[in-house]
Amino acid sequence: MHVLGIVGAGATTLCDRLAAQLDGRVATVESLPESATEPESTDGVAAAYGLSPDGNWVGSGDDRDLDGLLDDLSAEYDYALLSGFPDARVPTVALAGVDAANVVAEAETADAADVASLAAEIDSHEPHVTLETLVERAKADPLEVYAGAIATFTGRVRAKESEDDDPTLSLEFEKYDGVAESKMDAISEELEARDGVLRVLMHHRVGVVEDGADIVFVVVLAGHRREAFRTVEDGIDRLKDEVPIFKKETTTDEEFWVHDR
Amino acid sequence: MEWKLFADLAEVAGSRTVRVDVDGDATVGDALDALVGAHPALESRVFGDDGELYDHINVLRNGEAAALGEATAAGDELALFPPVSGG
Repeated sequence: MHVLGIVGAGATTLCDRLAAQLDGRVATVESLPESATEPESTDGVAAAYGLSPDGNWVGSGDDRDLDGLLDDLSAEYDYALLSGFPDARVPTVALAGVDAANVVAEAETADAADVASLAAEIDSHEPHVTLETLVERAKADPLEVYAGAIATFTGRVRAKESEDDDPTLSLEFEKYDGVAESKMDAISEELEARDGVLRVLMHHRVGVVEDGADIVFVVVLAGHRREAFRTVEDGIDRLKDEVPIFKKETTTDEEFWVHDR
Repeated sequence: MEWKLFADLAEVAGSRTVRVDVDGDATVGDALDALVGAHPALESRVFGDDGELYDHINVLRNGEAAALGEATAAGDELALFPPVSGG
């Protein structure tokens, strides 16, 4: 799922204009003031949904942050357009000079913005991918009718090897753009040539990944569990050995490139 | 042609990309010498005491592993990086 934020007066209008230009399923997320987010309080209810027979729905709830919401949307939508989140770590369009953490484009007004170029902009940034994104993609594969198994691997940031370790706060990943992707595609293709292996999907995040957060996913769609297990193991092993991605570790004490240790 | 540098090698050189000018018949090794000539701090990170490229240093030409004796062509993208450490 590709994500673009828009901040400044008219952000919501521009989200709607841009949504109409995008090819795929689009979700929009609008920032609400604190007073508007008070849930209708019913004791013991954390989320409330309304659903109609034709599939229309509304929902409300408490206890959700933007990252968690994007994780949930990522499996089901091709695009998420956010209006009014200047601090979000997502590529952001700033209207009328409003400040944001990661501005990639600017326009004077919502009407002056060139939606065709924004549609290209959103595709040029790293997508938001979760394990669920890849699992849903595997399930949507034309070969899924032959699949009795999906095996997955998730690599995450480990804070400590042992009790006395300096905790790892974050890892920062850098990749060789273009070459990393073609290497991963080549590995997937070789693994898919195995008997009973139908689809192999991989994704590695880049930039800063905080302690406890997910880094890398490998998903194997296979006829049976044996080839699914073997292939998911070989997939992550080969990714770690062969794909040009580099990590720098930040602990409470120091910062270092992991290959130097 | 252009070198792309990664991880600590980019930090040592102070740049992620470095253009080098080499002769038309230059090899990958010649282009590497030109890179190290322009950024001498790279030398001890890339070459051992015997002057040979360290085994753990990767050299790619247009996305494929390259030998130093290999010929280059104008417009090549060369890459130099330490052991990969993804995941």
